[in-house]
Amino acid sequence: MASAITSAHDPARRRVTRWILRNSLLAGFVLVFAALGVAAPGFLTWNNLVSVILNEFTLAAIISLGMTLVISAGGIDLSVGSAADIASLAFIGLVSVHQPFRLAVIAGLSGALSVGAVNASLIAGIRISPLLATLSTLFISTSVQQLASNGGQPIYLISGTLPEAFYFLGRGQLFGVPMQIYIVTVLAIIFSIILHKSNFGRYVFALGAQPGVAWYSGIRVSSTSALVYILSALVCGVAGILLSVTVKAYVPQSGNAYLLWTIGAVFIGTTLHSEGRPSVAGTLLGVLLLSIVRNGLLLIGWNFYWQQVATGLLIFAILAFSGSRSREAS
Amino acid sequence: MPLDTATTVSGLAVSGLVKEFDGIRALNGVNLEVAPGTVHGLVGQNGAGKSTLIKILAGIYQPDAGTIRMNGAIHSRLNPPLAEKLGIQFIHQERLLVPTLTVAESLYLGAEPRVGSWINRRSMNEQAVTALQDYFGLAISPNKLIGELSAAQQQTIQITRALLRKTSILVLDEPTATLVKREVDLLFQTLQRLRDDGLTVIYISHYLNEIETLCDRVTVLRNGVDVATVEPRQTPMSAIVSLMIDRNIEDLFQKRSVTLGEPVLEVRELAHRNAFADVSFTIRQGEILGITGLIGSGAKEMVHSLFGLERISKGQVLIDRREVRLSAPSQAVRSRIAYVPEHRREHGVALSFSVRENMTLASLREHSKAGILIERSERRKVAELIAKLSLLAPSQDAPVRQLSGGNQQKVVLGKWLSRESALYILDEPTVGVDIGAKTEIYRLIGELAGQGAAILVLSSDLLELLGLADRILVFFRGKVVRELDASTADHDALLSAVTGVNDQKPDRAQKSTDYADYTDLVGQSRRVG
Repeated sequence: MASAITSAHDPARRRVTRWILRNSLLAGFVLVFAALGVAAPGFLTWNNLVSVILNEFTLAAIISLGMTLVISAGGIDLSVGSAADIASLAFIGLVSVHQPFRLAVIAGLSGALSVGAVNASLIAGIRISPLLATLSTLFISTSVQQLASNGGQPIYLISGTLPEAFYFLGRGQLFGVPMQIYIVTVLAIIFSIILHKSNFGRYVFALGAQPGVAWYSGIRVSSTSALVYILSALVCGVAGILLSVTVKAYVPQSGNAYLLWTIGAVFIGTTLHSEGRPSVAGTLLGVLLLSIVRNGLLLIGWNFYWQQVATGLLIFAILAFSGSRSREAS
Repeated sequence: MPLDTATTVSGLAVSGLVKEFDGIRALNGVNLEVAPGTVHGLVGQNGAGKSTLIKILAGIYQPDAGTIRMNGAIHSRLNPPLAEKLGIQFIHQERLLVPTLTVAESLYLGAEPRVGSWINRRSMNEQAVTALQDYFGLAISPNKLIGELSAAQQQTIQITRALLRKTSILVLDEPTATLVKREVDLLFQTLQRLRDDGLTVIYISHYLNEIETLCDRVTVLRNGVDVATVEPRQTPMSAIVSLMIDRNIEDLFQKRSVTLGEPVLEVRELAHRNAFADVSFTIRQGEILGITGLIGSGAKEMVHSLFGLERISKGQVLIDRREVRLSAPSQAVRSRIAYVPEHRREHGVALSFSVRENMTLASLREHSKAGILIERSERRKVAELIAKLSLLAPSQDAPVRQLSGGNQQKVVLGKWLSRESALYILDEPTVGVDIGAKTEIYRLIGELAGQGAAILVLSSDLLELLGLADRILVFFRGKVVRELDASTADHDALLSAVTGVNDQKPDRAQKSTDYADYTDLVGQSRRVG
């Protein structure tokens, strides 16, 4: 027994592989930075990097936090974009008819939470697979939006008539740092504690690793997984509202663009862990990498479709690399 | 029947086969000579090495030493395609069929009659009908789905499928477990007819009366060695039984003096929709109660219901004289019931979780404040448990997949030792565990009882129960049929109670039970990873 452990799973060798794994993502960063720095003039400027964070990173990062939790629990949430869209619709809808700002925020979050509640009851209640359950809520909420927005008409707000809080959330700064950065940071810290430092987070990972073991250990599996989908919807609601205040409009289907991005980011993040576990830090690095690539390609002048191809290839390359590494390690 | 011509075609000779798992020898130099055109029985207790031997013949395991001689050629190892090419076909106790395929598709899977590169469905269906009619006198539509067939019919399909391949040796592992008497008779007739046509059959069963009826010779395995090969018709069954039993196993158990305290678990007239009824018993502090029974006897379901895994329809369960509701494991755990499950990898440990994460999964609340983990307290507890269990692990943070089966099982025990429970339920606690870890697990169980816990052991290993338990309840067809004092009962009495053979032969027509528990297949397959 002892010999089997030392030969196949030599701790020293493991450490080396883990080091390489960790650095596959970092190496990806260095490579991307170097390539874009050379190919895209203006990429490595402070203003550009700040704009990457603000325009590309924040919303995807917020949605990805929920997705990290969901994937840790062994599930998937395809309805993140529609939860964000519903939040945006409810929020903008109320703001456009001059309802109090606070009420609009609550309505937006409740809209997203209702999507989460449907997911939770389908998945934890009647045990439909997360893929199918969230796919159906994706369809339902898309249709609901179309019904509620006159067949999918955008709602544009007229500047000048908006409450001050609206501008503050969208463009406000505190000590020279944009509000949205604070929001991302606070949410990331909260999710990091939930996932990595709390009992609940351990249960979530147990559910993802081996649901049978979770059940037989006396963990309340249904309520754990229900809470996971509700938290995911909640951050989508936050993202939907932030999206709305940034563009001052409700644009149908704008949230769905984040779906594949966030899934990709979580899986890129799993390469940080030797057992391929998602983590908040890994996910955020994943989102950052994807944002940078997107921004850089935009500066070079590639069109949207080629950006998508490049993003897909990047995700593929990192996962393939780490997959082959971890096979070697085991 | 000439039995001494092992060198002729399609006979099989295995010699000096050795197979080690984690330093434990599952086979320790097994010899087996099967003469062509005979039915050769293979018997032995759980862990005797039957399944390992069969898996080597199937090419699933590679032996560490020894040879396999077939068709005059000597092989030091086989692989599944080679075994198939040599004409060895296997019928396992689990039905390995795809429920959504039709009967004909299953029979000819991978060997479909073809026209060019298209499957000739008509000819396939016609051939299927003929084959089933010929071998088993069975009239099943070839277009019926496997999922629509009864267990027995599925078994028949599997055997027919094997016979349709170019088979010279047919290996059957507990093939009658799911069959009723009429089907068993038909199977035996078919096998005897095929044998007379020159087929060689290796037949593994726990039903010694089947061995007596069917087999020309029988080899008894014990502890990875063939202890004898005899002619069952000339040998009394009791002699075969005594060859199978290894008396030394009793040395594994430490005798302990029991002082029973207050009742911990009281079960009153417990009943289940269809698995068991009218079950009442009590376990006191410091007592180890053994429960056993065949699959379908209700023993497993009853034990599951005590952990909220099965719903009861009637009756009461009391822990420390207070009635508890058990509709989910989470409730059972809160009622201070611990459960070490039979299927370690599905229910016991999460392989990608570290030793620490696994061990504290059921007791995180004791290591947290307001839902936030206190890692230092967690680590201290786990270090303590590792020492207590003499667990062999690279570190607390090593994933459990790196541990051997026995050490994984200790992690499961550790998970429940990490919280104070009143009742510990152990479901097949030593399946797939090597002998060293086994002894330590027995020691820990004894210690737990010594500290005043109530312990319930569900096991199909009768010697384990006799050595470990104070009392043994035997389930048969949903009822407790016997209560035995483990210190006075012997193996034979227990075995007859379990199999319902109080007075000689069991009625096969009534038997709807399954002997799967009584084979060591599970144990061997677990031990590898």
